[in-house]
Amino acid sequence: MYGGGNTFEAPKQNEMQAEDPQKLAEFEARIERGEKIEPSDWMPALYRKQLIRMIEQHAHSEIIGALPEGTWITRAPGFRRKLALMAKVQDEVGHAQLLYSAAETLGKSREDMLSDLISGKSKYSNIFNYPAFTWADTAVIAWLVDAGAIVNQLANSRGSYAPYSRALERICAEESFHLKYGHHAVIHLATGTPTQRKMVQEALNRWWAPLMHFFGPPDKMSVHTEVLMKWKVKMATNDDMRQQFLDMYVPKIWELGLTIPDENLRKNEETGKWDYTEPDWEEFKRVINGDGPLNKERLAVRRIAEERGRWVRNALLKSEANYVTPLA
Amino acid sequence: MTIQSLDPRVSRLGLTSLQNDDAEQATVNQFPTFQVFTQKKEDKPFEHGGIVHAPNIEMALIFAKEQYSRRFTCSGLAVAATTSVKTTDVSENKEDIYNLIQEPAVSSSEKEPYEIFHLNKRGKQTVYAGSVEAGSFEEAAWEAKKAFQNDKPVYNLWLIRRNDILFIDEEDKDIWATLGDKKYRDALDYKATDKIKAFKEEQNR
Ligand SMILES: [Fe+2]
Ligand SMILES: [Fe+2]
Repeated sequence: MYGGGNTFEAPKQNEMQAEDPQKLAEFEARIERGEKIEPSDWMPALYRKQLIRMIEQHAHSEIIGALPEGTWITRAPGFRRKLALMAKVQDEVGHAQLLYSAAETLGKSREDMLSDLISGKSKYSNIFNYPAFTWADTAVIAWLVDAGAIVNQLANSRGSYAPYSRALERICAEESFHLKYGHHAVIHLATGTPTQRKMVQEALNRWWAPLMHFFGPPDKMSVHTEVLMKWKVKMATNDDMRQQFLDMYVPKIWELGLTIPDENLRKNEETGKWDYTEPDWEEFKRVINGDGPLNKERLAVRRIAEERGRWVRNALLKSEANYVTPLA
Repeated sequence: MTIQSLDPRVSRLGLTSLQNDDAEQATVNQFPTFQVFTQKKEDKPFEHGGIVHAPNIEMALIFAKEQYSRRFTCSGLAVAATTSVKTTDVSENKEDIYNLIQEPAVSSSEKEPYEIFHLNKRGKQTVYAGSVEAGSFEEAAWEAKKAFQNDKPVYNLWLIRRNDILFIDEEDKDIWATLGDKKYRDALDYKATDKIKAFKEEQNR
């Protein structure tokens, strides 16, 4: 799972000036023809930098995203749900591994990425800074947060960087189980007893704003990413992805008799798009910059894992084994 | 909003304070990386799957099993240290990379098997092509050209000495025996349309 959206830095005007114009033209022509970029190909420094940033954030989101659900494994209702949730959490951590590997081919080592996560230097999807209070929260996460992630990941898998596309192909295949599992769990609660219905409705109310934040600020507020779209790093605008998500999932939420806590939410017949109340983007900024309900705890738990496993890694390290950038 | 932690590692075990006071972050070196190859079915060629980090090649094979053959059918698994894989450049403009490979000046008398992998399309996985006998990587590339070049262009070659590859043993292949039992990981196992239909009918009554 992963929230895309506002993870890009605005490219500075002078960042492109140092590039060899002929190589740049060939590079752009290759992308224009629909060919993928392999790690050993020439690429502009800005392309490399933005891709590392994006893939690294995606990887961090998979690891941190496993935490809110992971804590519910012991309390999942029934053996079957436990098995499924364990498998899902394991998948998510596997996604992180695949993504770190893809980012490594661009020249940043996994160790550096993990340190930057723990120190707070690099970001992860904002949505995981919110708590999963009840079992119903985990059902809503598995269904709708993963649904949002799939919209984002399917778009990205058509991007230009070959190792990222290869990783996403596999990730998307596994996500389809997460989505179905989550939907199944939500349906179970929504068609259950009044208490179960209440529980899932309350969870949906809690997660709606973070879900609307998930794809990032509206296009009119976002940094200019034209060059990243031309290079097929960013594949769809935040608003387009949000619209796609609403189109696919609002009807599925409504058919279960659940309500969405936004009275302005409706499909506008004229524009063919969804109208909605803008979520609080100040809150989004505040949380992404560290001041959310769980930012500190998420990183602390990650750091515990790192610290407690360190002796094992140190014991296994051999000084003569040297690290090189992986191939693909 | 501050909340009481919902994470048992924090709330029950109290493993750490939430403040980052670990000033000296140990500079842990990287484990080396290993390229992983999987074979989906007996009659399919090995394909590159990705990499793992591991302290040695035996551990790499174990990590590779978890990372690359946990979810889908698998009938073979192999790992090789990244440093033991020789690659050519990736060719430009649909040119066959084999066209750039020339006969080595000297030929060696001692030969050993080399495994050859092809990238047949940018963005796809590198796939096993076959093995050749050679005394060096240069010779192996030349032998591969003679054996495997055809009218389909190859974009990139990977060459690995067979001795540098660790394959899973035949008798260990039962690690995949339980794969098919774990239906709860298949999207297909979550059918819910009947429940939704029944629910809607109930509502309309
Ligand atoms: Fe997922
Ligand atoms: Fe995931």
